[in-house]
This record gives sequence, C-alpha cells and structure tokens, in this order.
Amino acid sequence: MTTQQHKNALQGPLGWGLLVVAMAVLLISLGYAFSQIIANGHTSFNTSSALPWGQPIATYVFFALGSSGLGLIASLPLVFGFKQYYPIAKRCVFLAFALLISGMIVLALELGHVFRMLWVIPANLQVQSAMFWMGAFYALDLLFLLWKFSKLQGGHWDSKTAKQVGIASFVGVLLASGNLALIFGMMSMRPFWFDPLMPVYFYVTGITTAVAILVLLTYLAYAFKQTRMPAPLQALLTGPLPKLFAACVGVTLLLIAVRAITGLYSNNPEINVVWTDYLFKSGVYIAALLIGLLLPFVILLSKLRNSMGIQVVAALLVTVAMFAERLYFVVGGQVVPLFKGTWIPDLISYTPSATEWSLTFIGFALCFVIYLLGEKFLNLGDMPSQMIDHTTPRKPIEATA
Amino acid sequence: MAKWGMVIDLDKCTGCQACTTACSMENNTLPGETWQDVLFYNAGEYPSGQMKWLPRPCMQCENPSCVHVCPTRATYKDPDAGGIVFVDWNKCIGCKYCMIACPYGVRFYADEKPLIEPDIRDVFPGENAQLWSPPYQSPDEDWRRGIGIQPKGVVSKCTFCYHKVKNAPEGTADLDEDNPDVKEYVPACVRTCAPKARYFGDLDNPESHVNQLIGDKHGVRLKDHTGNKPQVYYLGAGAGVPAFTPADRENDA
Repeated sequence: MTTQQHKNALQGPLGWGLLVVAMAVLLISLGYAFSQIIANGHTSFNTSSALPWGQPIATYVFFALGSSGLGLIASLPLVFGFKQYYPIAKRCVFLAFALLISGMIVLALELGHVFRMLWVIPANLQVQSAMFWMGAFYALDLLFLLWKFSKLQGGHWDSKTAKQVGIASFVGVLLASGNLALIFGMMSMRPFWFDPLMPVYFYVTGITTAVAILVLLTYLAYAFKQTRMPAPLQALLTGPLPKLFAACVGVTLLLIAVRAITGLYSNNPEINVVWTDYLFKSGVYIAALLIGLLLPFVILLSKLRNSMGIQVVAALLVTVAMFAERLYFVVGGQVVPLFKGTWIPDLISYTPSATEWSLTFIGFALCFVIYLLGEKFLNLGDMPSQMIDHTTPRKPIEATA
Repeated sequence: MAKWGMVIDLDKCTGCQACTTACSMENNTLPGETWQDVLFYNAGEYPSGQMKWLPRPCMQCENPSCVHVCPTRATYKDPDAGGIVFVDWNKCIGCKYCMIACPYGVRFYADEKPLIEPDIRDVFPGENAQLWSPPYQSPDEDWRRGIGIQPKGVVSKCTFCYHKVKNAPEGTADLDEDNPDVKEYVPACVRTCAPKARYFGDLDNPESHVNQLIGDKHGVRLKDHTGNKPQVYYLGAGAGVPAFTPADRENDA
C-alpha cells in the first residue's frame, strides 16, 4: 500500500529556524545542568530527605503520560479502526516516542546512579517493585512505538503485522502508564496518592495532555494555516478531534473535582491539608484549574472549538495546566511532614531550583528537537492511500456538530 | 538466628537526644541525616497542653514497604542478620522510592542541601568515593550493608549498629549495656541512653528481657495499621504522634 506525502511548513526554513532555537535551548540547558550536577551533585536540587521527589520527577511523569496518551490516540485508527484519525496517526506515534525519550532523559538526570541502573535492575529482577515493572513496560512501549513507526514509515498501515504491532503497542501503553500510576497509587503511607483507580486518572489526564500537544504541533506543522492542510486532516481538526479534546478536558476536571471533594471531606490531614493549605492556597494551581482547564473546557463546548485560534490557545493553556498539575500532584503527596506530629509545624516548602528547571527545559527542548527532525525527514503527515482522494487542500470545513 | 528488636520505654525517656548524638558519632552521619532522632511535639491545648517526645530509629520492619518498592533489591531485609533492613550502596541507584514508601520517614538522601553552614562536606571533602571524609571515622565499613560513610547518590539509614551487634555471641538473648560481657556489642543509641529507656534483644527468644517487657508492659508498635510490623516497640504513655496540624490552625477545634 502506498502513502500520500504532504509538504509542511516545518520542512522549510521555519523548521530550520525552530530547530536552531530548540538546539540552542537544549545545549544551554544541558550545559548548565551538567555543570551544576557535576560540581554540586544533587545539592543543586531543592529536594530533600523530607521531600525527595520534585520537579524533575513531575517532568518525567508529564512526558511519560503525554507519550502514553499519544499512543492511545494513535490506537484509535490503528487498532480500533476510527479511520478519521489516520491523518494524525503517524505524528502521534512519533511524538509518543519523542516525549518518552525526553522523559526518560530527565529521569536519568534525576537519579543518583543512572548507569548503574542499566545493569542492576535486570540483574536483580525485583518483581515486587512497581518501579521495576514501570521500567520494563516503558522499555517495551518504546520498542513497540519504534516498531509501529517503522511499519507506518514503510507504508504498512493495514497489514496484519502492523495491526498486531499496533495491538501490542496499545497493551504496552496501558501497562506502562498504569504501572506509573501505581507507583503513586499503591503507596498507602502517602494517602494523597493512595488510590486504586489512579491508573484511570493517569490514562485520562495523559490523553488530555496528548491531545493538547498534538493540536499545538499539528497546527505548527502547517504554519497555523488550515488551508495548507490535507482535507482529511482539516476534517479531523474541525470535527472529531476538538470534540475529543473537550471531552478529555471535561473528564480531567471531573476527576480532579472528585479527588478534591473526597480530599476536603476527609479528616486525614495528609489528604485534607494538602488541598486546603497547599493546592488551594497556591495561585498557580488555582490558575491552572480555572484558566488552564475550566476556561478551555467552556470554550471548547461551544462551536468555537472548530476555530484554529481557539484550539491553539486552548491547547497551550491545557499543556501548561497539565504540567502544573503533574508538579502539584507529585509534590502534594509529600508536603505534609511524614510522621513528625508538631515537630515540624508547617508544610514542607519546595520551590524548584534553577538546576531542576534546567532539567525541565532539557525535556521540552529535546522533545521539540526530535519532533522537528521527524517533521523534516520522516513525513509525519502521511496517511493511507485510501484517503488520497480527499487530500487536495481546500477551504476549512464547517463542522456540523 | 536472632530477630533483633528494640524496646523504648517512653516513661523513662527524657528526650535528651544523647541517642541522636551517639548515633551520629558512631555512624558518621551528616547534620540532618539523623538515622536516630527524638521528635518533639505538643498535644492538647492550653491549659492542658503537654509537650511530648518520641525517639525514632528505623523500625526494621518485619514486612518493610521500603524493601518491596526498591527496583534493584538494594534495600533488603536480612534474616541472617537479625532481620535488620539494609541498603546495599553498591546497588542503590538513588531513585528515592524507598523514602517515599517508608511510613516512618527514617531514610535519608544525604546528597542534598546542607542543613547548616558551613557545609561539612566542603570542610572535609570526600575521598575514596565517600560523600565526605571526616578525620575520625568508624573503623567498620561495609557498603553491602550501608555501614560506614556513604558514597554520593545513595540512600542511607539506621542499621541497628550491625557492625557492633554482629559480634554478639550466638544465642545471646539481650544486649544489655550493663552486662560487661556484651556491652561492646550494644547499639550506640541503647548504650548511651542515660535513663536506660532503651532495651535491645532477641524478639524470637521468649526468655529475652525485651519480650518480657513487651508482654508485661503492653508494648505497642507505631503505625501498626500500615502492616509494616516494626521490630521496635514502645512502652508507656505517649506512644503515638498526633496528626499533623499546621501551626496557624493549632487552636482550631
């Protein structure tokens, strides 16, 4: 089966310009992070024995779940046969790879002994640890993503092997992100996180992050001009995708609301105080909820959701809000001093250090560099030949929904 | 093999922190890396408020959640070493998951900002892969059990002074600092305790003094609902840390 290729803006000078900028940010961030970590070790982080997991872990969670969300969206056409999602399938798979690699690099820089990890985990096989399984499943996820992408790159959209790899990848994504959720959700001694349904929360919020990133980068690929897009992509971006976006943001808000209500109702200070004295006392967190999630949700409910400008703004807001959500989620589980009574009279304070921010920048810059290279050299806008008849650029389609 | 356990009598403990100091000196821990400390807290309100305190070593749990979560088996419980929970510094990758999973907050990642200035790690820079190298060091070092001064990037914790305890003769029921035959094998915090609030012995030996104390004086384990089943027991009033209350809400009903 042949594939139809489309020129996009990132294959031209715009792509080179952005690549130079992203590379510069990546190199500067890497240089700063390495200089600090080599000279000062983890004292350059603002984490502590009382609050051991900070922004680098939150950044990893953001990227890993974003990757999983993209993998799940790619499964819509590749596993479940929702053909209208074909125009973004290849971009989803590649972005999932880019996000996962970026997250893993950030996590590696956070660990005390990253190279030791490479032999000591397989050599000791601690199958009781959720973190062991997270490593195993995300490694499998990465493998299947690459395999799946190689199939799409070869034009095998509907072959039997492509389907099988797609199903394996879908299962791998569910296992990997589900296990990441359980790393937090199984910690009964950390009641803010303890939740058997944490995987559901991670799946939904992962897809929300994924749609936001996908919308942003797809429009960027066509220089924010809908008329440059092939018709099936236009149809997707003015029909099913914004509806999915609205639904995901809505369910994310619902899940956060449920967690907040149960947390506020609870007498347990390790849950209650996190909401009253940490999350709802933070202007950033409230802004993330109201401006980053609720506002986009309300706008996306209306017909305005088919407008490119609205989608781009909503996607930008949701991306930032989801990053904030990850940070407040990871830190929130640790801010109540563990087993200290009144020995420590206040919540443990934590503000990311410059080194920790540089790790976050490394993640975003690396992800963007990989993505730009993909757009430039791997034709991420490919779709199956049966859609060729609809690929002539035309005016934006008015959605009927 | 013995199952080493500790009993702490809170009716005797004066909160003097001698145990904290002895532990720090014995194990060359950094300021803030308090493998053993005494928590102070207040309970109740004026005019009936009370100040209380609770000595807190690693509980060396029978069912340790820190061991379950460690992805590399760096943290392990050694039944051949009295059931003590160790960290193998040759295997630890510094993921800090065990610190998340410990309900008692008794694990430390010393590669963090200094608690006090000047940073003692700058005063005595590390040599031979040590995080820092003070002029006096305990002669005992065993990285497979997290004994000695740790390298960078690993988690450290109380070892029940295994480097001393391991020398106790087989079949010893109690390591009592008042017994000249075994006093050299007694953990530093137990040996230094001036009011003799701490007892150390074999929990598997029904004749041991620690077992008799637990039975006669109704020893309790902290946070027993977690299922971790500590090998540290508390006697007397006040064996329980009140729930966390932010300072500005202490007077809330």
